Amino acid sequence: MNTMTDADMTGGQVREITDFIAKYLSYMLGAGVHTSRVVRNSKRIGEALGVDVSVHTSQKTATLTVKEKGGTHMDTMVVDIPAFPISFEWNADLSALSWAAHDKAMTLDEIRAKFDSLVSKPGMNPVFVLFMVSLANASFCRLFGGDMLAMLVTFTATMIGFFTRQHLTKKKVNHYIVFIVSAFVASICASSSLALGIDTAEIALATSVLYLVPGVPLINGLIDITDGHIQIGISRLVNAFMLIVCIAIGMSLTLILVKDSLL
Amino acid sequence: MSLFIDILSDGLFAAVAAMGFGSISDPPLRAFPYIAILAALGHAARFCLMTLCGVDIVSASLVAAFIIGSGSVYFGKKVACPMTVLYIPALLPMVPGTYAYKTVFSLIMFFQEISSPTKGSGYLQEMIFNGAVSFSVLFMLAVGATVPVFLLRERANSMTRGSRFI
Repeated sequence: MNTMTDADMTGGQVREITDFIAKYLSYMLGAGVHTSRVVRNSKRIGEALGVDVSVHTSQKTATLTVKEKGGTHMDTMVVDIPAFPISFEWNADLSALSWAAHDKAMTLDEIRAKFDSLVSKPGMNPVFVLFMVSLANASFCRLFGGDMLAMLVTFTATMIGFFTRQHLTKKKVNHYIVFIVSAFVASICASSSLALGIDTAEIALATSVLYLVPGVPLINGLIDITDGHIQIGISRLVNAFMLIVCIAIGMSLTLILVKDSLL
Repeated sequence: MSLFIDILSDGLFAAVAAMGFGSISDPPLRAFPYIAILAALGHAARFCLMTLCGVDIVSASLVAAFIIGSGSVYFGKKVACPMTVLYIPALLPMVPGTYAYKTVFSLIMFFQEISSPTKGSGYLQEMIFNGAVSFSVLFMLAVGATVPVFLLRERANSMTRGSRFI
Protein backbone atom coordinates (compact mmCIF):
# COMPACT_ATOMS: atom_id res chain seq x y z
CA MET A 1 0.00 0.00 0.00
CA ASN A 2 0.98 3.57 -0.54
CA THR A 3 2.69 5.50 2.19
CA MET A 4 0.03 8.18 1.89
CA THR A 5 -2.45 6.00 3.76
CA ASP A 6 -0.22 5.75 6.82
CA ALA A 7 -0.18 9.40 7.67
CA ASP A 8 -3.36 11.47 7.38
CA MET A 9 -3.66 13.12 4.00
CA THR A 10 -3.90 16.84 3.65
CA GLY A 11 -6.74 18.43 1.72
CA GLY A 12 -4.20 19.38 -0.94
CA GLN A 13 -3.20 15.77 -1.50
CA VAL A 14 -6.82 14.68 -1.87
CA ARG A 15 -7.34 17.51 -4.34
CA GLU A 16 -4.32 16.37 -6.40
CA ILE A 17 -5.61 12.78 -6.50
CA THR A 18 -9.05 14.03 -7.51
CA ASP A 19 -7.55 16.10 -10.31
CA PHE A 20 -5.68 13.12 -11.67
CA ILE A 21 -8.54 10.62 -11.45
CA ALA A 22 -10.88 13.16 -13.07
CA LYS A 23 -8.46 13.49 -15.98
CA TYR A 24 -7.98 9.73 -16.19
CA LEU A 25 -11.66 8.92 -16.35
CA SER A 26 -12.49 11.77 -18.74
CA TYR A 27 -9.82 10.51 -21.16
CA MET A 28 -11.16 6.98 -20.98
CA LEU A 29 -14.78 8.03 -21.44
CA GLY A 30 -13.77 10.38 -24.26
CA ALA A 31 -11.96 7.59 -26.07
CA GLY A 32 -15.10 5.42 -26.09
CA VAL A 33 -14.48 2.94 -23.30
CA HIS A 34 -17.66 1.44 -21.86
CA THR A 35 -18.77 2.93 -18.56
CA SER A 36 -18.43 0.04 -16.13
CA ARG A 37 -14.77 -0.44 -17.07
CA VAL A 38 -14.02 3.26 -16.55
CA VAL A 39 -15.68 3.24 -13.14
CA ARG A 40 -13.92 0.03 -12.11
CA ASN A 41 -10.50 1.29 -13.21
CA SER A 42 -10.95 4.64 -11.47
CA LYS A 43 -11.92 2.92 -8.22
CA ARG A 44 -8.88 0.67 -8.57
CA ILE A 45 -6.51 3.64 -8.90
CA GLY A 46 -8.27 5.27 -5.94
CA GLU A 47 -7.78 2.08 -3.94
CA ALA A 48 -4.05 2.16 -4.74
CA LEU A 49 -3.78 5.75 -3.53
CA GLY A 50 -5.83 5.19 -0.40
CA VAL A 51 -9.09 6.92 -1.33
CA ASP A 52 -12.67 5.87 -2.10
CA VAL A 53 -13.91 6.99 -5.51
CA SER A 54 -17.56 7.30 -6.60
CA VAL A 55 -18.38 8.31 -10.15
CA HIS A 56 -21.50 9.56 -11.87
CA THR A 57 -21.30 9.67 -15.65
CA SER A 58 -23.37 11.21 -18.37
CA GLN A 59 -22.75 11.89 -22.04
CA LYS A 60 -20.75 15.12 -21.88
CA THR A 61 -19.69 15.44 -18.25
CA ALA A 62 -18.79 13.19 -15.34
CA THR A 63 -18.95 13.88 -11.60
CA LEU A 64 -16.71 12.24 -9.07
CA THR A 65 -16.30 12.32 -5.34
CA VAL A 66 -13.01 11.26 -3.79
CA LYS A 67 -12.92 10.52 -0.07
CA GLU A 68 -9.92 9.74 2.06
CA LYS A 69 -10.15 6.21 3.49
CA GLY A 70 -10.82 6.46 7.20
CA GLY A 71 -10.23 10.19 7.17
CA THR A 72 -12.25 13.36 6.84
CA HIS A 73 -10.93 15.00 3.66
CA MET A 74 -13.02 14.73 0.53
CA ASP A 75 -13.31 16.46 -2.81
CA THR A 76 -15.97 16.59 -5.53
CA MET A 77 -15.50 17.65 -9.10
CA VAL A 78 -17.49 17.90 -12.32
CA VAL A 79 -15.33 17.24 -15.33
CA ASP A 80 -16.01 17.78 -19.05
CA ILE A 81 -15.53 14.73 -21.23
CA PRO A 82 -13.32 15.69 -24.19
CA ALA A 83 -14.33 14.31 -27.61
CA PHE A 84 -11.39 12.11 -28.57
CA PRO A 85 -11.52 9.68 -31.47
CA ILE A 86 -12.25 6.13 -30.26
CA SER A 87 -9.03 4.44 -29.17
CA PHE A 88 -8.78 0.79 -28.15
CA GLU A 89 -5.09 1.37 -27.57
CA TRP A 90 -5.88 3.79 -24.72
CA ASN A 91 -8.50 1.36 -23.47
CA ALA A 92 -5.88 -1.40 -23.14
CA ASP A 93 -3.02 0.81 -21.91
CA LEU A 94 -4.95 2.81 -19.33
CA SER A 95 -6.58 -0.35 -17.96
CA ALA A 96 -3.14 -1.89 -17.60
CA LEU A 97 -2.00 1.31 -15.85
CA SER A 98 -4.74 0.92 -13.24
CA TRP A 99 -3.57 -2.62 -12.48
CA ALA A 100 0.06 -1.53 -12.36
CA ALA A 101 -0.83 1.25 -9.91
CA HIS A 102 -2.72 -1.29 -7.79
CA ASP A 103 -0.14 -4.09 -7.81
CA LYS A 104 3.12 -2.13 -7.77
CA ALA A 105 2.04 0.54 -5.24
CA MET A 106 3.05 3.39 -7.55
CA THR A 107 2.99 6.93 -6.19
CA LEU A 108 0.73 9.58 -7.70
CA ASP A 109 3.66 11.21 -9.51
CA GLU A 110 4.72 7.90 -11.06
CA ILE A 111 1.17 7.12 -12.19
CA ARG A 112 0.80 10.61 -13.65
CA ALA A 113 4.08 10.37 -15.57
CA LYS A 114 3.13 6.96 -16.96
CA PHE A 115 -0.31 8.26 -17.91
CA ASP A 116 1.19 11.21 -19.81
CA SER A 117 3.56 8.96 -21.73
CA LEU A 118 0.76 6.50 -22.61
CA VAL A 119 -1.68 9.10 -23.95
CA SER A 120 1.01 10.86 -26.01
CA LYS A 121 1.87 7.72 -27.99
CA PRO A 122 1.22 8.36 -31.69
CA GLY A 123 -1.92 6.77 -33.16
CA MET A 124 -2.16 4.65 -36.28
CA ASN A 125 -0.92 6.07 -39.59
CA PRO A 126 -3.96 7.64 -41.38
CA VAL A 127 -2.85 6.35 -44.80
CA PHE A 128 -2.64 2.82 -43.43
CA VAL A 129 -6.11 3.19 -41.92
CA LEU A 130 -7.44 4.51 -45.24
CA PHE A 131 -6.08 1.45 -47.05
CA MET A 132 -7.36 -1.00 -44.42
CA VAL A 133 -10.85 0.51 -44.38
CA SER A 134 -11.10 0.35 -48.17
CA LEU A 135 -9.98 -3.26 -48.13
CA ALA A 136 -12.48 -4.03 -45.38
CA ASN A 137 -15.39 -2.50 -47.26
CA ALA A 138 -14.42 -4.40 -50.42
CA SER A 139 -14.45 -7.65 -48.42
CA PHE A 140 -17.80 -6.63 -47.05
CA CYS A 141 -19.09 -6.23 -50.61
CA ARG A 142 -17.91 -9.79 -51.25
CA LEU A 143 -19.71 -11.08 -48.12
CA PHE A 144 -22.93 -9.60 -49.48
CA GLY A 145 -22.41 -11.46 -52.76
CA GLY A 146 -20.64 -8.87 -54.92
CA ASP A 147 -18.27 -10.00 -57.71
CA MET A 148 -14.68 -8.90 -58.34
CA LEU A 149 -15.63 -5.76 -60.28
CA ALA A 150 -18.12 -4.71 -57.63
CA MET A 151 -15.41 -5.19 -55.00
CA LEU A 152 -13.06 -2.99 -57.00
CA VAL A 153 -15.67 -0.24 -57.28
CA THR A 154 -16.43 -0.48 -53.55
CA PHE A 155 -12.72 -0.31 -52.75
CA THR A 156 -12.27 2.88 -54.76
CA ALA A 157 -15.50 4.47 -53.56
CA THR A 158 -14.60 3.76 -49.92
CA MET A 159 -11.14 5.17 -50.39
CA ILE A 160 -12.53 8.46 -51.74
CA GLY A 161 -15.30 8.56 -49.14
CA PHE A 162 -13.05 7.80 -46.19
CA PHE A 163 -10.46 10.30 -47.40
CA THR A 164 -13.23 12.92 -47.45
CA ARG A 165 -14.18 11.97 -43.91
CA GLN A 166 -10.58 12.17 -42.65
CA HIS A 167 -10.08 15.50 -44.33
CA LEU A 168 -13.30 17.08 -43.09
CA THR A 169 -12.74 15.76 -39.57
CA LYS A 170 -9.29 17.36 -39.57
CA LYS A 171 -10.92 20.68 -40.54
CA LYS A 172 -13.21 20.27 -37.49
CA VAL A 173 -16.42 20.31 -39.54
CA ASN A 174 -19.55 19.32 -37.58
CA HIS A 175 -19.61 15.52 -37.51
CA TYR A 176 -23.19 15.21 -38.75
CA ILE A 177 -22.21 17.15 -41.87
CA VAL A 178 -19.08 15.01 -42.21
CA PHE A 179 -21.24 11.87 -42.22
CA ILE A 180 -23.76 13.22 -44.74
CA VAL A 181 -21.04 14.40 -47.13
CA SER A 182 -18.92 11.24 -46.82
CA ALA A 183 -21.94 8.99 -47.38
CA PHE A 184 -22.91 11.04 -50.43
CA VAL A 185 -19.38 11.00 -51.89
CA ALA A 186 -18.88 7.26 -51.34
CA SER A 187 -22.25 6.29 -52.77
CA ILE A 188 -22.02 8.60 -55.79
CA CYS A 189 -18.62 7.04 -56.59
CA ALA A 190 -20.10 3.56 -56.17
CA SER A 191 -23.03 4.44 -58.41
CA SER A 192 -20.54 4.47 -61.30
CA SER A 193 -20.97 0.69 -61.19
CA LEU A 194 -24.55 1.16 -62.45
CA ALA A 195 -23.24 3.11 -65.45
CA LEU A 196 -20.51 0.51 -66.03
CA GLY A 197 -23.18 -2.20 -66.17
CA ILE A 198 -21.63 -4.45 -63.49
CA ASP A 199 -23.91 -7.41 -62.60
CA THR A 200 -23.83 -6.81 -58.86
CA ALA A 201 -23.88 -2.99 -59.06
CA GLU A 202 -26.66 -2.77 -56.47
CA ILE A 203 -24.51 -4.55 -53.90
CA ALA A 204 -21.56 -2.23 -54.55
CA LEU A 205 -23.86 0.75 -54.04
CA ALA A 206 -25.44 -0.68 -50.87
CA THR A 207 -22.12 -1.57 -49.20
CA SER A 208 -20.19 1.56 -50.20
CA VAL A 209 -21.41 3.54 -47.14
CA LEU A 210 -21.06 0.78 -44.56
CA TYR A 211 -17.62 1.94 -43.42
CA LEU A 212 -19.45 4.87 -41.78
CA VAL A 213 -21.78 2.77 -39.60
CA PRO A 214 -20.88 3.65 -35.97
CA GLY A 215 -20.52 0.04 -34.86
CA VAL A 216 -18.39 0.71 -31.79
CA PRO A 217 -20.77 3.22 -30.11
CA LEU A 218 -23.72 0.94 -30.94
CA ILE A 219 -22.13 -2.09 -29.27
CA ASN A 220 -20.77 0.04 -26.40
CA GLY A 221 -24.25 1.44 -25.79
CA LEU A 222 -25.73 -2.02 -25.50
CA ILE A 223 -22.87 -3.21 -23.27
CA ASP A 224 -23.59 -0.26 -20.98
CA ILE A 225 -27.27 -1.17 -20.90
CA THR A 226 -26.54 -4.81 -20.02
CA ASP A 227 -24.17 -3.58 -17.29
CA GLY A 228 -26.95 -1.45 -15.79
CA HIS A 229 -25.63 1.96 -16.92
CA ILE A 230 -28.87 2.41 -18.78
CA GLN A 231 -28.96 6.20 -19.14
CA ILE A 232 -25.53 6.55 -20.71
CA GLY A 233 -26.17 3.43 -22.80
CA ILE A 234 -29.27 5.02 -24.28
CA SER A 235 -27.39 8.28 -24.90
CA ARG A 236 -24.75 6.38 -26.85
CA LEU A 237 -27.39 4.56 -28.89
CA VAL A 238 -29.23 7.79 -29.68
CA ASN A 239 -25.96 9.41 -30.73
CA ALA A 240 -25.17 6.49 -33.02
CA PHE A 241 -28.69 6.51 -34.41
CA MET A 242 -28.32 10.18 -35.37
CA LEU A 243 -25.22 9.25 -37.35
CA ILE A 244 -27.12 6.44 -39.11
CA VAL A 245 -29.80 8.95 -40.10
CA CYS A 246 -27.01 11.14 -41.54
CA ILE A 247 -25.65 8.18 -43.54
CA ALA A 248 -29.15 7.52 -44.91
CA ILE A 249 -29.58 11.19 -45.87
CA GLY A 250 -26.25 11.29 -47.72
CA MET A 251 -26.99 8.05 -49.51
CA SER A 252 -30.55 9.00 -50.38
CA LEU A 253 -29.24 12.07 -52.22
CA THR A 254 -27.28 9.74 -54.49
CA LEU A 255 -30.19 7.33 -54.93
CA ILE A 256 -32.56 10.15 -55.89
CA LEU A 257 -30.02 11.39 -58.43
CA VAL A 258 -29.26 8.05 -60.06
CA LYS A 259 -32.24 5.78 -59.40
CA ASP A 260 -35.19 7.96 -58.46
CA SER A 261 -36.18 5.52 -55.70
CA LEU A 262 -34.71 4.62 -52.33
CA LEU A 263 -35.69 0.97 -51.92
CA MET B 1 -16.03 -29.14 -51.52
CA SER B 2 -17.40 -25.91 -52.87
CA LEU B 3 -19.32 -25.50 -49.62
CA PHE B 4 -16.06 -25.82 -47.72
CA ILE B 5 -14.52 -23.08 -49.86
CA ASP B 6 -17.59 -20.91 -49.27
CA ILE B 7 -17.23 -21.24 -45.50
CA LEU B 8 -13.50 -20.60 -45.67
CA SER B 9 -13.84 -17.50 -47.85
CA ASP B 10 -16.64 -16.20 -45.63
CA GLY B 11 -14.31 -16.42 -42.65
CA LEU B 12 -11.42 -14.89 -44.57
CA PHE B 13 -13.33 -11.86 -45.82
CA ALA B 14 -14.91 -11.33 -42.41
CA ALA B 15 -11.41 -11.30 -40.91
CA VAL B 16 -10.25 -8.63 -43.36
CA ALA B 17 -13.42 -6.60 -42.74
CA ALA B 18 -12.94 -6.79 -38.95
CA MET B 19 -9.31 -5.67 -39.10
CA GLY B 20 -10.14 -2.85 -41.49
CA PHE B 21 -13.15 -1.46 -39.64
CA GLY B 22 -11.34 -2.05 -36.36
CA SER B 23 -8.34 -0.01 -37.51
CA ILE B 24 -10.52 3.15 -37.49
CA SER B 25 -10.71 2.78 -33.71
CA ASP B 26 -6.95 2.39 -33.21
CA PRO B 27 -6.53 -1.04 -31.59
CA PRO B 28 -3.05 -2.06 -30.35
CA LEU B 29 -1.09 -3.77 -33.18
CA ARG B 30 -0.60 -6.92 -31.11
CA ALA B 31 -4.38 -7.44 -31.08
CA PHE B 32 -4.85 -7.60 -34.87
CA PRO B 33 -4.13 -11.34 -35.41
CA TYR B 34 -6.58 -12.29 -32.66
CA ILE B 35 -9.26 -9.90 -33.92
CA ALA B 36 -8.93 -11.61 -37.31
CA ILE B 37 -9.18 -15.13 -35.88
CA LEU B 38 -12.21 -14.26 -33.73
CA ALA B 39 -14.02 -12.48 -36.56
CA ALA B 40 -13.40 -15.38 -38.95
CA LEU B 41 -14.63 -17.97 -36.43
CA GLY B 42 -17.73 -15.99 -35.50
CA HIS B 43 -18.75 -14.98 -39.00
CA ALA B 44 -18.14 -18.43 -40.46
CA ALA B 45 -20.19 -19.95 -37.63
CA ARG B 46 -23.04 -17.57 -38.40
CA PHE B 47 -22.76 -18.39 -42.11
CA CYS B 48 -22.96 -22.14 -41.40
CA LEU B 49 -25.93 -21.75 -39.06
CA MET B 50 -27.83 -19.60 -41.53
CA THR B 51 -27.17 -21.49 -44.77
CA LEU B 52 -26.80 -25.07 -43.52
CA CYS B 53 -29.18 -25.20 -40.56
CA GLY B 54 -31.63 -22.51 -41.67
CA VAL B 55 -31.32 -20.61 -38.39
CA ASP B 56 -32.57 -16.99 -38.48
CA ILE B 57 -30.09 -14.09 -38.45
CA VAL B 58 -30.91 -13.04 -34.87
CA SER B 59 -30.29 -16.39 -33.18
CA ALA B 60 -27.28 -17.10 -35.41
CA SER B 61 -25.77 -13.75 -34.38
CA LEU B 62 -26.24 -14.65 -30.72
CA VAL B 63 -24.30 -17.89 -31.16
CA ALA B 64 -21.57 -16.19 -33.21
CA ALA B 65 -21.20 -13.42 -30.64
CA PHE B 66 -20.97 -15.98 -27.84
CA ILE B 67 -18.14 -17.75 -29.71
CA ILE B 68 -16.33 -14.43 -30.21
CA GLY B 69 -16.82 -13.41 -26.58
CA SER B 70 -15.54 -16.75 -25.24
CA GLY B 71 -12.54 -16.60 -27.57
CA SER B 72 -11.68 -13.13 -26.35
CA VAL B 73 -11.46 -14.41 -22.75
CA TYR B 74 -8.75 -16.79 -23.87
CA PHE B 75 -6.84 -14.45 -26.21
CA GLY B 76 -7.29 -11.36 -24.03
CA LYS B 77 -5.03 -12.70 -21.30
CA LYS B 78 -2.43 -13.63 -23.92
CA VAL B 79 -2.02 -10.12 -25.35
CA ALA B 80 -3.06 -8.24 -22.18
CA CYS B 81 -6.02 -6.53 -23.82
CA PRO B 82 -9.43 -5.98 -22.23
CA MET B 83 -11.98 -8.31 -23.82
CA THR B 84 -13.80 -5.42 -25.49
CA VAL B 85 -10.64 -4.47 -27.40
CA LEU B 86 -10.77 -7.88 -29.08
CA TYR B 87 -14.47 -8.61 -29.37
CA ILE B 88 -15.85 -5.23 -30.48
CA PRO B 89 -13.74 -5.10 -33.68
CA ALA B 90 -14.49 -8.80 -34.27
CA LEU B 91 -18.22 -8.09 -34.03
CA LEU B 92 -18.11 -5.13 -36.44
CA PRO B 93 -18.64 -7.17 -39.65
CA MET B 94 -21.88 -8.48 -38.14
CA VAL B 95 -23.32 -5.08 -37.20
CA PRO B 96 -26.53 -4.82 -39.26
CA GLY B 97 -25.62 -1.64 -41.13
CA THR B 98 -27.80 -2.19 -44.21
CA TYR B 99 -30.88 -2.98 -42.12
CA ALA B 100 -30.19 0.15 -40.08
CA TYR B 101 -30.11 2.60 -42.96
CA LYS B 102 -32.95 0.81 -44.76
CA THR B 103 -35.05 1.56 -41.67
CA VAL B 104 -34.49 5.26 -42.35
CA PHE B 105 -35.11 4.78 -46.09
CA SER B 106 -38.47 3.09 -45.49
CA LEU B 107 -39.46 5.98 -43.25
CA ILE B 108 -38.54 8.50 -45.97
CA MET B 109 -40.46 6.47 -48.58
CA PHE B 110 -43.44 6.38 -46.24
CA PHE B 111 -43.48 10.18 -46.23
CA GLN B 112 -43.31 10.17 -50.05
CA GLU B 113 -46.36 7.88 -50.31
CA ILE B 114 -48.20 9.29 -47.32
CA SER B 115 -51.35 10.03 -49.34
CA SER B 116 -51.60 6.50 -50.72
CA PRO B 117 -52.79 4.25 -47.88
CA THR B 118 -51.73 0.93 -49.44
CA LYS B 119 -48.23 1.93 -50.54
CA GLY B 120 -47.69 4.05 -47.43
CA SER B 121 -48.52 1.24 -45.02
CA GLY B 122 -46.32 -1.12 -47.03
CA TYR B 123 -43.32 1.12 -46.36
CA LEU B 124 -44.32 1.50 -42.72
CA GLN B 125 -44.34 -2.28 -42.40
CA GLU B 126 -40.93 -2.43 -44.02
CA MET B 127 -39.63 0.14 -41.55
CA ILE B 128 -40.78 -1.95 -38.59
CA PHE B 129 -39.26 -5.07 -40.17
CA ASN B 130 -35.87 -3.44 -40.79
CA GLY B 131 -35.85 -1.68 -37.44
CA ALA B 132 -36.74 -4.83 -35.52
CA VAL B 133 -34.09 -6.91 -37.27
CA SER B 134 -31.33 -4.35 -36.85
CA PHE B 135 -32.06 -3.72 -33.18
CA SER B 136 -32.43 -7.41 -32.32
CA VAL B 137 -29.23 -8.43 -34.12
CA LEU B 138 -27.33 -5.64 -32.41
CA PHE B 139 -28.77 -6.57 -29.03
CA MET B 140 -27.87 -10.23 -29.52
CA LEU B 141 -24.32 -9.32 -30.59
CA ALA B 142 -23.75 -7.32 -27.41
CA VAL B 143 -25.44 -9.84 -25.11
CA GLY B 144 -23.79 -12.88 -26.70
CA ALA B 145 -20.34 -11.38 -26.32
CA THR B 146 -20.99 -10.20 -22.74
CA VAL B 147 -22.29 -13.52 -21.38
CA PRO B 148 -18.73 -14.90 -20.93
CA VAL B 149 -17.92 -11.74 -18.93
CA PHE B 150 -20.80 -12.48 -16.57
CA LEU B 151 -19.79 -16.13 -16.24
CA LEU B 152 -16.10 -15.49 -15.61
CA ARG B 153 -16.14 -12.16 -13.79
CA GLU B 154 -12.78 -12.51 -12.02
CA ARG B 155 -10.82 -13.56 -15.08
CA ALA B 156 -12.66 -11.29 -17.50
CA ASN B 157 -11.92 -8.20 -15.43
CA SER B 158 -8.22 -8.75 -14.94
CA MET B 159 -7.06 -9.20 -18.53
CA THR B 160 -4.54 -6.37 -18.36
CA ARG B 161 -3.19 -7.24 -14.91
CA GLY B 162 0.60 -7.45 -15.04
CA SER B 163 0.68 -6.31 -18.68
CA ARG B 164 4.21 -6.09 -20.09
CA PHE B 165 3.06 -3.82 -22.89
CA ILE B 166 2.84 -0.49 -21.04
